[in-house]
Amino acid sequence: MTEGNVSVAQNESGTVPDGWQPHIVALVCNWCSYAGADMAGTTRLEYPANVRMVRFPCTGRMSPLMILRAFEQGADGVLVSGCHPGDCHYVQGNLVARRRFTIFRSLMDFIGIDLKRLHFAWVSAAEGHKWAKVVSEVTAAVQEAGPLPGFEYPDGWGGIDLPEMAGSGPQELDQGELDAIRTNLRKAASEVLTTGRAGVVIGYGAGSLPDQTIPVLITETADCETLEWGRGCCNNLSTYIGLALEKHERVAVVAKTCDLGAISGLIREGQLRREQLLVIGVQCPGVHDGSELAAKCRACSGDPHPICDFVVTVDSVHESCQDPLDAALDTPNARDEQIAHLETLPHGERWKYWQRQFSRCLRCYACRAVCPMCYCSSCISEKHRPQWVSTAIDNPGNSTWNIIRAVHLAGRCSGCDECARVCPADIRLDLINRKLALEIEKQYGKVGLDPEEKSALVDFRMEDSEEFIL
Amino acid sequence: MDSSWKLTEAQLREWLNGLLESNKMIAPVEEDGVLLFRPIASEDQAVIKPSGKTRWSPKEFLFPRSEALYRYAFKGSTVLIEDPSTPEKPQILFGVRSCDASGIVRLDEIFLSGIRDRLYGARRENTTVVSTACAAADPECFCTAVGYSPVGEEGSDVQLVPLGEDWMVRALTDKGKDLVGDTSDGWSKATAKDGKRIPELEKEVAGQIERSPVNREWSKVLEEGFEHGAWDRLAQHCLGCSVCAYVCPSCSCFDMNHEGNAWCGEQCRSWDACTFPLFTHHASGHNPRETKQERYRQRVLHKFAFKEEDDEPFRCVGCGRCVALCPAGLDIVNTVSAAVEAIQEEGADAAR
Amino acid sequence: MPLAEAAPNPYQPSLVRIHDFSDETADVRTLRLRFVDDNEAGEFAGWEPGQFGQFTVFGAGESVFALANAPWRPNGDQASTPTIECTFRRVGKVTSALRAMSKGQVIGFRGPYGNHFPVDAWKGKDLVFIGGGIGMAALRSAMLDVINRKEEYGEVVILNGARSVADMVYTDEMPRWREVDGVQVVCTVDPGGETDDWKGEVGLLPNVFEGLGLDPDGRIVIACGPPIMLHYLFLSLGKVGYSPDQVVTTLENKMKCGIGHCGRCYVGPFSVCRDGPVVTWAELNELPKDY
Repeated sequence: MTEGNVSVAQNESGTVPDGWQPHIVALVCNWCSYAGADMAGTTRLEYPANVRMVRFPCTGRMSPLMILRAFEQGADGVLVSGCHPGDCHYVQGNLVARRRFTIFRSLMDFIGIDLKRLHFAWVSAAEGHKWAKVVSEVTAAVQEAGPLPGFEYPDGWGGIDLPEMAGSGPQELDQGELDAIRTNLRKAASEVLTTGRAGVVIGYGAGSLPDQTIPVLITETADCETLEWGRGCCNNLSTYIGLALEKHERVAVVAKTCDLGAISGLIREGQLRREQLLVIGVQCPGVHDGSELAAKCRACSGDPHPICDFVVTVDSVHESCQDPLDAALDTPNARDEQIAHLETLPHGERWKYWQRQFSRCLRCYACRAVCPMCYCSSCISEKHRPQWVSTAIDNPGNSTWNIIRAVHLAGRCSGCDECARVCPADIRLDLINRKLALEIEKQYGKVGLDPEEKSALVDFRMEDSEEFIL
Repeated sequence: MDSSWKLTEAQLREWLNGLLESNKMIAPVEEDGVLLFRPIASEDQAVIKPSGKTRWSPKEFLFPRSEALYRYAFKGSTVLIEDPSTPEKPQILFGVRSCDASGIVRLDEIFLSGIRDRLYGARRENTTVVSTACAAADPECFCTAVGYSPVGEEGSDVQLVPLGEDWMVRALTDKGKDLVGDTSDGWSKATAKDGKRIPELEKEVAGQIERSPVNREWSKVLEEGFEHGAWDRLAQHCLGCSVCAYVCPSCSCFDMNHEGNAWCGEQCRSWDACTFPLFTHHASGHNPRETKQERYRQRVLHKFAFKEEDDEPFRCVGCGRCVALCPAGLDIVNTVSAAVEAIQEEGADAAR
Repeated sequence: MPLAEAAPNPYQPSLVRIHDFSDETADVRTLRLRFVDDNEAGEFAGWEPGQFGQFTVFGAGESVFALANAPWRPNGDQASTPTIECTFRRVGKVTSALRAMSKGQVIGFRGPYGNHFPVDAWKGKDLVFIGGGIGMAALRSAMLDVINRKEEYGEVVILNGARSVADMVYTDEMPRWREVDGVQVVCTVDPGGETDDWKGEVGLLPNVFEGLGLDPDGRIVIACGPPIMLHYLFLSLGKVGYSPDQVVTTLENKMKCGIGHCGRCYVGPFSVCRDGPVVTWAELNELPKDY
């Protein structure tokens, strides 16, 4: 991104130069806020001139990506304004948007953007005075916040120590027990294929490095003997269900409990039907991320979930099928302490933490490739008319990419942490996803494994909270 | 031995410190649990060890992840074009493993041949490479299986060879000799015995690498078996990301896009990979490599075949990072052997 | 080693102005471009037929087009201004932006890149140019070079094929080509693409070509079109007795750098922008089917 037309607002000592004026971008809906701003103009109201407006049909059309782009392009503050709930020209655009803005705002706060920079308002066509007042308040707040800190590597910053994550994970399983599970798993897979209940079993095969496994798609009963089970069974195999369904009517997939959220999500979003799947749940010893127990395993019992079609344990393999209405998934999360710790830090420190993380991003898109819920045939980052996500692999572009991917997964992410595991740069994507999940739970409740439940961000209630909205 | 000295760790650190005064030093640092190359401000930041690779290669200091090829600005009825300034301060890549140094030479073969890449060329001229020979292999390493060596000198101006607690410093090129300069006056010369350690190390590390060598004849086999059905099943679980290409020391593909606004912008070159679906996608909708199996085949053949001259080395330098970091556990060497086996057993034209 | 700083930046384009244009079809346009800077115009070394350029629409990006007019060769004539023509179809981001531009506006040009048709080696021979749709644009430079000095060549047959009458390119120029002694121009549209008053042929290119009944002996076929058309055409050519050395084509592949570095246009070891785009059918047979 060229520096040419973006004013570099801080002088060398980092203080704000005299006479600095904030750049503020306002995303406004056409029917209410734009008209309201127009009215402010026709009634000759005076208010600061720092705001540049971008007109949208509706707040429902405003993707957080556009807010991010504004910051990326040099805005010091962003104001989003639309019709009052109940008055949306498109009936419910602003109601869906309200939930989106709520969680996005909390994420920006988490990333280190001072919320004095990010404002939301309902301004109707008749509220010229309110518009002027909102703009004045927003301008004053952004003035106070100062120039936006740069999207750049924090040179010389010492870093922060995050608290150790608690939890020792599932009970120890010795090699004999793991072998027993593996035998039962192979039995279950063989049966599935021999009886024709599925045309393919997606499981784990041996990899080439110690303890490593690779996803395998087994169609021959004899090959079931190559199925492996152990601490290297990391992949969320639901990523491969779509591929398997191209050639087979019914697919069996080996699943750890942490993989199930994605399966429910895929069914919920119409990517596959329950009847196309046979889920083989397996007793899990906890998987390794590198040489340590993965963070997601620390609070997990490792027990297979009864919602699976088959349940494989040390002792047996049996069929099961719990009513999805009882499909609660109650796993406390070891990451919550680390998130809480980050939230005790001042925004400047948080910003540096995340900018250092994003500075390592290579845009390999492994996070997207491995995620079962990233199934878009054309990703937002691939769109080039216009190019929404900068192709430049630098801090601004990387920040936008990682944040927008998390937002696109908000309410849908199953917390399987595969994105964080595969990131070659060890970016704590798991913290970002978990932060969004926490905010959604707090505001709108938890969605379990029942595919019939709507995920939070495609739903709304008239009484959704909006205390932060002006 | 000429141009070879033996240093203690303390002397190495002192030298590093001295170099910082007038050079931009780039060395492996530990950051949030990741070992990667960063510019350093003091010698204690640098992690220089007898073995162990950084998470990805240092190629980004010659071939940045993204950079402006030129800048433009609209002015009236015309366009002003500005050439980006070329780097001035010399830089030293310190602590580059032998495989990564070879990777740099593979990049030179692309960027400095034919129509020369001016930006890469300027950066390359301003760069001195101080490599570290390896005393041990990482679990994923296989340099010796593909014709490279843990003590290889290719691409290095100065080579550090681990000698227990000490280091041997060998100036291999004029640039290397200039870098060492007068500092070597205070160093003891390395002995012939020290020198013998080099082939010993090579043997030790080769012994740790359990891979069977990749036969050079296989390049032709792979090419002949281009249409073989094995390619379909060997890359079935590839996810189509580009971890392999981006951590690779010798991958150099890139994209070019105008990044800008209504007033100005830049022609931005950024890393790209043949593993992405859009890499070869025509605007008309035609894509020569429609499936990810075809894309993965391209990657394998580009690394192990498709040579322009028969005596060229493999473009894969055997660092093994792609094997260790692939989200789906794909192993390029296993793929090569499996493909060759299938092609030889079933014939080059065996159907899918 | 010479100082790299003194070397030119291979990616920096020259500025050229849209001097004029004509629309071949609803989505195909031919631009005529002139250098903005007189010095650059004076120093321009021209090109050989078959080479291509990278054309920049500032803000949108670059796109590769064949250099489509008769090759400009500097002849010391100060009054002669180099003009570059390119024919492009509106199909994506850059070509849409380019299509929206008007006379007088400025774009970028860098080139010429690639190898070229061996027009000198063709002297005295009978030639057939076969263009499918916009494939004609890639042949036009060679065709015009030959027609302009027709006496140095044998019989010239030009076969212009399109999906439909509306998609036919260079309709306005073809009468001029026909006027040249020894030049035969045959137009064909795909079955279903003809209009009531269509006077040309109706049929797929390979079939129409076979129908011409030309003697393969010593004849050179220069063909360009979509991969599927080339595939069937080559089968046809083989059937009627052409050897792969007698058939020349020009490859199209997605390109970015144009100078053999970015890796995008490789077909096996062959970089289309550096080692091509002109290639014989014999050479193509040595390459993997990766285009």
